Amino acid sequence: MSTVLTAEDVGHLRTGAHFLACAIDPTAIHVYAGMIQEAMQDRSVELITVDELASDDLVVAVGMVTQGLFIADMPPVGDEFTGCIEAIETRLGRKVRAIYSLAAANINGIIPLMVGLQSSLPVIDSDPMGRVFPLISQTTLNIGGVAIGPIALMGVTGERAVVEAGDPQRAETLVRALVTELGGWAATVMYPCSARQLAEHGVHGSVSRMIRIGQILDADTSAESKFLSLSDFLGVTRIARARVSHIEGLSRPTDLGLPAQPSSVTLVDETTGQIIRLEIQNEILLVLVDGAVAAAVPDMVTLLNSEHGSVASLEDLRVGNVVDVLKLNAAPQWYSEAGLDLAEPAAFGIPLKHPRRRHG
Amino acid sequence: MRIGLMLQGSSCRALVLEGRSVVSVAEQRQASSLADALDSVLSSLALQFGSLITDVTADVGRVLAAAQPGDVVAVRISPRPPADQFHNTRLPALIEPAVTRTVHVRGGHDLRGRPLAPLDLSAFRLELPSILSGGVRNVAITAVGSTASAEHETRIADAILSNNSDMRISISSDFYSSVFRDRDYTAVLNSALMESGEELAAMLEEAGKRHFPAAALSYARNDGGRAPLARLAVAPVHALRPEPAMAILGVATLGGLCDGEVVVCADEGVSVGTIRSGLPVAHSLIRQGYEASLATNAAIVEPYTANHPVRPDIPSVVADIRTSQDTLPEHGLLPTLPGVRDLSLIGCAATPLTAWIDRLERVSGQAELQRVQHRAEEEASSAVVQLGASPTDTRIIESNVFAMPYGNPGIVRIRVRAAGGTSNSEENTLAAQALGVTA
Repeated sequence: MSTVLTAEDVGHLRTGAHFLACAIDPTAIHVYAGMIQEAMQDRSVELITVDELASDDLVVAVGMVTQGLFIADMPPVGDEFTGCIEAIETRLGRKVRAIYSLAAANINGIIPLMVGLQSSLPVIDSDPMGRVFPLISQTTLNIGGVAIGPIALMGVTGERAVVEAGDPQRAETLVRALVTELGGWAATVMYPCSARQLAEHGVHGSVSRMIRIGQILDADTSAESKFLSLSDFLGVTRIARARVSHIEGLSRPTDLGLPAQPSSVTLVDETTGQIIRLEIQNEILLVLVDGAVAAAVPDMVTLLNSEHGSVASLEDLRVGNVVDVLKLNAAPQWYSEAGLDLAEPAAFGIPLKHPRRRHG
Repeated sequence: MRIGLMLQGSSCRALVLEGRSVVSVAEQRQASSLADALDSVLSSLALQFGSLITDVTADVGRVLAAAQPGDVVAVRISPRPPADQFHNTRLPALIEPAVTRTVHVRGGHDLRGRPLAPLDLSAFRLELPSILSGGVRNVAITAVGSTASAEHETRIADAILSNNSDMRISISSDFYSSVFRDRDYTAVLNSALMESGEELAAMLEEAGKRHFPAAALSYARNDGGRAPLARLAVAPVHALRPEPAMAILGVATLGGLCDGEVVVCADEGVSVGTIRSGLPVAHSLIRQGYEASLATNAAIVEPYTANHPVRPDIPSVVADIRTSQDTLPEHGLLPTLPGVRDLSLIGCAATPLTAWIDRLERVSGQAELQRVQHRAEEEASSAVVQLGASPTDTRIIESNVFAMPYGNPGIVRIRVRAAGGTSNSEENTLAAQALGVTA
């Protein structure tokens, strides 16, 4: 059922999008949320379910691909996404009927709303990650064999490109190189597919889930109450309430073309004294408790301020701070053999198989 | 002995500290002008203590916050101007009216310091005569990517100054934030406060030198440190909100706490901060909800809640400054410093000189990372010596490396804080403890 989103929904979505990708600075989400709320004063954006579309309607993923200067340090001019949609429509000779988020977390969780306001296209309550991954090939659409291209991209300089690559990993390499030369991010439109393909291979309810998470975290309740609500809603578990004891940059070698460099954080559990180690590269990839795997990508790991129940950014990971380390499961597609091939720790340069693969 | 000053409106308060002991309780003087109040307070203290005073540090935050911001021309450098109203850079409502004109210049750099577009200096030169004749002396310049390269900001600044050296210019690369709007807001606010900063610096310098000619004259900074008055004229934004930091430092000084937690129970609620190596732990931004943040190092002071994690092995000091102390503070806290007053003034009197290095570095591995971090530590120590610290009394308070999620591989943020005391000051007790020196 379609829903016209309100400014309040956008506020909650902002919080939910940050919760699902706490390792990334949330300022760009905040900036976009403010722009969207202002734009909504004289126009509206519609959230629809994919089954409201005709099965052969053309739908596209919209999202920022980043490597370099932060989006918040190089603010978009505003014509980048509409420019990409025009390029894809020209290339395919068809009109786009609806858009969906490239990733249901962080900046890409909220961007489709602005694009929907600008283009008057409805936003589908689905995405191809169910979280955020750093590589554009790491999608459930890729697992389902949906083509990634053609991909349109446009940067803040106004330069635009259309990439045609059959292999998603090759597409990733080409797009990443262009993004670097465009300054640090590019607005992209990719995975043009039918509504039926998205229905079969996407992750659904992504936008409404972020809004619900935001409602829980924005509520005037205690940190414990927020955790219990998240647990009921998403099956979130608390790995530890722990105090940061050490932060290490460039902690692992990396040569896989992944954006950014790895770092590690060591914490001490406040109750048990167990040693908690977080391995981070853009997102939190791995959590070890006394050396045993407690969570591993594609599991989602996020942090809450244990005192206030607010999302703790990586910037809040200072020696001496206490945080709750939380885990939630990714979409079921990610625990298939093909899903784990794309997104288990080994895909990020950590020589480790996901526990579900070993035991499954 | 050291004097802590607090200026507000047309009144001035002062306190004298010797080591960790308050030797003269706060005096408050109200006069017809702030300059008269300051002169009156310092005159009185000069009679009592004369040449025993080695340092005078003033908290001017309340004066700056109440000052009418000057008009500012905002120059924004990016590859293209915003295409619609929603993508314009938004300033917080309080400072937005100060910007009387916005000029867009083509340019900007990426995170690697490579130009995204050549700087369109010739187009800017066409606009320059009307900027210079517009009657506004304050200019704030913000470029995309100026954390990686300040070249475009400095070339625009040079173009302005070469035509009129009296212009007051604030460039955003002087303030570290990886967010364009934070740097833009900070540069604009700093520029808008520069005239007030100049006036305050001149007033404090004149009065301070008259009554305490041998003392080091400083202003209190948001991070819990201090800097010589000359810096107040060029970077007043770092003097805008020092009070929370100074209160934390004041409690730590009275409690003899060098590393640990400081809790302040006030009428308006309970707050908590952390002291490390004798200084409040600081963040590089003052956040203001979802609006632009102020890019200035400032002490982290948060509300204390019932869920606050308590660790018996971490030393803490609980100060009670409530008007009425007939009942215990909230959350079952037991004050270790009941009935204390004038914490911010004590902090002002006790604060050391501080300097920060906060920048991006390109590294290829652990060895190079250690090299650039060591170099940043050396530069931070040099910077604090340049502010007036004794070379034998400097220390590194923190030295961190931050990964840049979704940044260019090999580019990291290095953030180092150094502190030091002046050779003519008798001591800074917490600093001495941090250095392992016995007083």
